[in-house]
Parts: sequence; structure tokens; C-alpha cells
Amino acid sequence: MAHATLELPTLLQRVLGGRATLEVEGENVLEALEDAYRQVPALRVHLCDESGALRRHVLCFHNDINTRWVDESPRLSDGDCITIMQAVSGG
Amino acid sequence: MRVTVIAGTEKGAFVCTSDRGRREWEVRGPLFKGWRVTTSGRSPSGRFFLATASQVYGAAIHTGTDLERWSQIERGPAYPDKGERKLNQIWTLTCTPSRLYAGVDTAGLFASDDDGESWQPVVALNDHPTRSKWFPGAGGLCAHAVLVDPARPERVWVGISAVGVWRSDDGGRSWQPKNAGVRCVSEDNEHPDIGYCVHGLAQDPEHTERLYRQDHAGMYRSRDGGDTWQENADGLPSWFGFPIAIDPHTKTIFAFPLESDEYRMPVDGRCRIYRSRDGGDSWEATDRGLPREHYHASVLRGALAVDPLDPAGVYFGSTSGDLFASVDGGDSWQALPCRLPRILSVKAYVEE
Repeated sequence: MAHATLELPTLLQRVLGGRATLEVEGENVLEALEDAYRQVPALRVHLCDESGALRRHVLCFHNDINTRWVDESPRLSDGDCITIMQAVSGG
Repeated sequence: MRVTVIAGTEKGAFVCTSDRGRREWEVRGPLFKGWRVTTSGRSPSGRFFLATASQVYGAAIHTGTDLERWSQIERGPAYPDKGERKLNQIWTLTCTPSRLYAGVDTAGLFASDDDGESWQPVVALNDHPTRSKWFPGAGGLCAHAVLVDPARPERVWVGISAVGVWRSDDGGRSWQPKNAGVRCVSEDNEHPDIGYCVHGLAQDPEHTERLYRQDHAGMYRSRDGGDTWQENADGLPSWFGFPIAIDPHTKTIFAFPLESDEYRMPVDGRCRIYRSRDGGDSWEATDRGLPREHYHASVLRGALAVDPLDPAGVYFGSTSGDLFASVDGGDSWQALPCRLPRILSVKAYVEE
């Protein structure tokens, strides 16, 4: 079980009481996100749609890698960072 | 006494407060900066509710009592996981002493019997046998209006675009379409009683059989709780528009007509609220204090409200962020001291 830091964008920090980060744990990124939802149930509706997948315009980075680019949920190591970002395209 | 008007906008909510005179206003905000605030509500217990939405981060309801500290409802309206329906936006919150209702996009109705802490789908409407034929309007397939008979709270009306008005007489266990006499905009051969694009609903709070409805294709009233409708557009400059509201004391009806579904702009570039003081028999324009030329912003369906005081305050917000108020039944209007983002909803609350 690895310990990582989940970073949220400003718009979502309200669910953490104004904080930007949450300490999470799991074997991989998906497990760490589930741990985040366990700690802060209000977060799930903002990141996941009814299919259970990340919302279409939500990006999830494992350190510097966009997790959409990889087939399996990346394994976590202690000290890793999971960053949630809003997908941006166009003006 | 404090009067509070909450304007939900494309970029947050703004809280406007005044005393009983409603002439001097203080504006603060934005609350939920950056979020679309699609509607607000207040339950009889005193809890406020704000509905937020985002193209990125979904929709949620937040509650609080002082308009400063908010907590997100964790068991808010939600469609089943792995299903096809997505909850995109909460369009309306209707709070009664016995039950709270939320109308949502994609169209559905949810109810809460614990003052908003948890919400359950109203299955008999959401899964009505006609459901597969429900057709969205330009604003999506949305349940945007909920009326509850204050004398018979088991009697509920819901407006869904572009499906029509539904009524339940048994607290939501069964629903009947109520569109007789209304022009159909999207005919369905199998279900001829759907395909009606209701835009706004209002109810006489005293004579609750009297309903008013701004439709995509006309202005209508009912004298029998929606069983039949009659067109009542005498004096209106167009048949198209979105919001409709009623003064609970004088029964004056207010609306903001727009030039046709093709243009959706104020008629002749003039900012005019129309009112009917005879139950819809006739309509007249009011514009004293409103911009009289070069006004091309519209008023969305949730952005016209009336407060419960006597005389009532009437409020509307525009897509260009203007917020106006009248405390003399529409004889004159004043601009509130703000220019907000695109206004999606306006609601008024009074605290003793």
C-alpha cells in the first residue's frame, strides 16, 4: 500500500474545506481515488459520471503522466502525486 | 425584516439584500465563484439550498442557513450507476412543508422527505411508459418547473421540455399528462398527449386550480388544475417567451415575451415586462425605469421571481447580467446596483 498526495484544482477545493490536497493510499491510482471518495464522499460526483469513469473533461495525472494515456491504472509509490485538472482546449 | 434576492449566474451566485422598502440594495458575491448556480431554494426549516453545475465537474446541491457557510449534500439527486441517464443540471428546487422536489436535466423529478439530506427518484414519472419518446427542447430534456398545491400537497404539477405538463393527484405515485388545448410542437403518433414544450408555470396560491403557462407556442391558462387550457395572449407582442410568475396578493401575472423561437430576443429591442391584472384576459407592457432601446438580452425561464410581501416585489435578471426590481406591481422598475454574469435564476426570500 503506497501513500500519495491527491491535488485538486481550485474549483474543487471547497469539498476539502478549502485545502488543495488530500493524503490518499492504494496500490494504484484507481484505489487511491477510491480512498479519496471514502474520505470525502462529496468528491465522487465531481470526478465521476454515472458510468463510474472519470468525467469527460476531468484529467487525472499520475506524477507527470496523463492516466488516459495508459491502459492500466498506474502503480503507486510512496510520495507520488495524483493531480486532478480540468481539460482545456480552445478559447 | 430583510429581503434577500439570490441571483444564480453562469459564474456563481450573488446575494442582494434590502429592507422592507426594497429601494436600497447591498450586493455580495460571488458565492461558488466559477460554478454555474442554476437555482436556489429555501425549506420551511430555514435551510437555504443552492444548486451548482459545471460542464467539467457535474451538478450538486449545497445547503446552509446563513448564506455564508455551505455543505454539499452527499445523497443528492442521482441516476443509477451504469445507467444511460446522466444528471447534468438541477433546474428547480421547490420546497414545501412536507416534501422538497428537485427537477433536473436529463428530465426527471427527485424528492426529499428529510429536509434535503437525501433524495429519491420519483419513479412513476421518471420511468413513465412514454419516457422513450420524450424529446428535448433547445435547452435540453429538462424538468424545470414544479408546483405543489398548498392545500393538497399530494397534488403536484411538473413541467418538462419538450414533453409537457404532468400532474399527480396522489403524491407522485401516478402521473397524467395535462396539455389539452395547448399547441403541440413535437407530435408523437404513439403518444399524442406528449410533445408539448412548456417553458414556465405559475399557480394562483389561493385558487390553486388556476394555472398559467408560458409555452413554446403560446401563453395559456387553466381554470381546472390543468385538465384544459385556453390561450390567453391578448395584448402580448409575441407568443414566445420563457418565465412567468404571479403576485400572490394581487394575482397579477408577469412575463417577458421574446420574438419567436427563431430569434429569442426582446421584441423591438425593448426591455419590457408584460403583466396581466385580470387573470390573463389581457396583457400590457411595463417599462418605466427599464432600458427603452437597444436592449437585446433575454430573460431565462428561472430568472423572474416574486417575493411574498404585500405589496410584492417582482424581480428579473437578464442574460446580460442586469437585475431589476419593482415594488409597485410593475408600474416602475429600478436596476439593482450590479452588472452580473449571465443570470440563470432569480429567487426572492423574506426573513422577519
